[in-house]
Amino acid sequence: MKTVRLLAVVDPAKCTGCTICDRVCPTLAIKTDRKLHLASVDEARCSGCPACEQRCPEGAIHVVVRERPFHMGVEVPPADRVQVDAICRKAKFHPEQLVCYCTATRADEVAAAILQGAHTPEEISYRTGVRTGCTVECLQPMLRLLDAAGIFPKPPPGGWQWYGKTVTAWEIPEAIKRKYGASGFYFDEDIEILDRVVNAPSQEE
Amino acid sequence: MRPPIAPMPPRKSQYGIDPSLVRRRVSELPGITSITLKELFPELPDVIVPGPGGLPAVRRAAEATLDAVDMSRIKPGDSVNVLASHHGFTLLGGEPYAEMLKAIKDVIVRRTGCTDIRLRAGVGLRFRETEEYIRRFGLDTHFNGKAIGVAPIDQAIPIETEIGTLYGIKRVYDADWIVHAHNSDVREVHFHRQVDRAVKPFGMSYARIETRSTYHQNMGPRAANFIARAIFDSPFVQGKYAFSCFLTMSPNGIMGVDADRDLYALNERVTFTGCSLYGRVMTLFGEIDECIVALDFPCPVVYVFSAGVIYANFAGANTDLYDLELPLPAYTWYTEAFYGKQGRPLLPEIPPLNPAIKMCVQNYAWTGYPSAFFSEHIPTVIVGKEQAELFDRDAQNALYTSHAKILDTTEEAMAYARKTTGSEKVLVFDGAFGGLNLTEPLAELLLKKAPAVSRRVDEELLPKWLRQRGISSAA
Repeated sequence: MKTVRLLAVVDPAKCTGCTICDRVCPTLAIKTDRKLHLASVDEARCSGCPACEQRCPEGAIHVVVRERPFHMGVEVPPADRVQVDAICRKAKFHPEQLVCYCTATRADEVAAAILQGAHTPEEISYRTGVRTGCTVECLQPMLRLLDAAGIFPKPPPGGWQWYGKTVTAWEIPEAIKRKYGASGFYFDEDIEILDRVVNAPSQEE
Repeated sequence: MRPPIAPMPPRKSQYGIDPSLVRRRVSELPGITSITLKELFPELPDVIVPGPGGLPAVRRAAEATLDAVDMSRIKPGDSVNVLASHHGFTLLGGEPYAEMLKAIKDVIVRRTGCTDIRLRAGVGLRFRETEEYIRRFGLDTHFNGKAIGVAPIDQAIPIETEIGTLYGIKRVYDADWIVHAHNSDVREVHFHRQVDRAVKPFGMSYARIETRSTYHQNMGPRAANFIARAIFDSPFVQGKYAFSCFLTMSPNGIMGVDADRDLYALNERVTFTGCSLYGRVMTLFGEIDECIVALDFPCPVVYVFSAGVIYANFAGANTDLYDLELPLPAYTWYTEAFYGKQGRPLLPEIPPLNPAIKMCVQNYAWTGYPSAFFSEHIPTVIVGKEQAELFDRDAQNALYTSHAKILDTTEEAMAYARKTTGSEKVLVFDGAFGGLNLTEPLAELLLKKAPAVSRRVDEELLPKWLRQRGISSAA
């Protein structure tokens, strides 16, 4: 859940149409007209994250306070609770586990968004606000939860939004654990902790 | 009472309020004194910064150690990326790290004849931070216009590793050779636990979001440190890796510069100093029974320094951050993730944030790091509406001020903290070089406790910490 108070604004006098803002936007809210060499923002999709403003090489994007803030967020309908919890636990998350530290979004909200039709990280970001704070740390939980729901998205063509799902603790080969286990990495011990979190009782009840 | 040590001045940045709005430093208030780290721990090494030698001492140390490194693989027509990270620019004002970077470039030119040398400076979560440092320290000029900041959302390059595909930032690796230019300061010991500390940037400031998210979400609090090693050991990175050069740090300053082709040999030395020197300060901070913390440094909330360690370390000082048998310190992102909807940990053994911190007064700190966990669990006062408004505009801190109280002045905030908590012990995180600013009751406590802490570290803790990391004391 996120209250969106900010909005990205493009300065047409400075924009060169380089498309970097296109490529880094986590909600696909910016499109560049390649004939006009000009980016434009879909105000309804812009989450007010810093990605485009922080990467524009021309300083052509700035962030302003919206006149009308709005909420990004997905409720978990009671009827979906069993399925939401199942997706979370299959993805090795506790349903109440935070997956986005900036927006305080939890795994169950992402799973609910997936059940409601968000089938890409970009659509999940647009609906829940996840990955619209720092834009860095919460990609893999989205991909793991999509995977657990049987959905295998492709990255946006030509975009830099994301490139691929990566390894989890449960997938580290035994040979690696044996080779490096004495160097302080504690692979199996961490899996034991993560598993106990996944199976911990809910606080919601 | 000894007078306070001059704190690190406010720094103009898009991530902090304008320095003119920092009207009072906490160290200027009545009752603040200082102690040096050498008073607490006389066994700490002598340092070159702070010291009379100044930046030329850093330059000499860098040149001396770099002259002993094999650079024969770098040829005159090659390209070299010197890889830097934002963190180095927060150490003792940043000039020493910048000077080391300049020295690296100059020595490579002198010894190899190679002139296409670029600077690629990675960041944490403030994507333009190193761009600010590049301008501030004249690195763009020194690197002939070839100095850029790189961010984790920039274009990726896939890297095949022993544990599958991970992703680096393409422009980090767009040269024939890379030089890893870092430092041995422990900083985020709550994350890296002093395991492969010297290797960490390969999984963090040189890495894409896929990799960083793997570290912080996919692996667990201790196993995560393997991510950087997997990338560094990959054939792709090894094919480009030339050597490493580190500022070597002690809590009381810069000991020197260490360069090595063998990063793991350097890592063992870094691990030893990280445990033996910084472990003393961490353990001593764990002896503080109650205090008010004052943040007053140009960095995000978690990264403000006192006695060479950061606020996030003190927030976890109620546990032994170096003890790898402890899976979850009081603060890591894994720990934060494991708090449920009622604001309590999902597992009973998860420790609370350091209960000795009775209140936190944020006189001056930056945005650009998700910090709401701290204001939610530690009573927090923010000085000045301008600072509060800046945090409200920060996408990473949507909820930070909603858990905090906002007061107009430093004096008002500190008086409020004293009255509310009843504590006369104040610990100031303001980056004072070589020591720390604090109130007299806290200074007395630390001076009394320090000798026993030293003995405990040497005789009991250090051997355990090194054993857990597979490093012998002899190393």
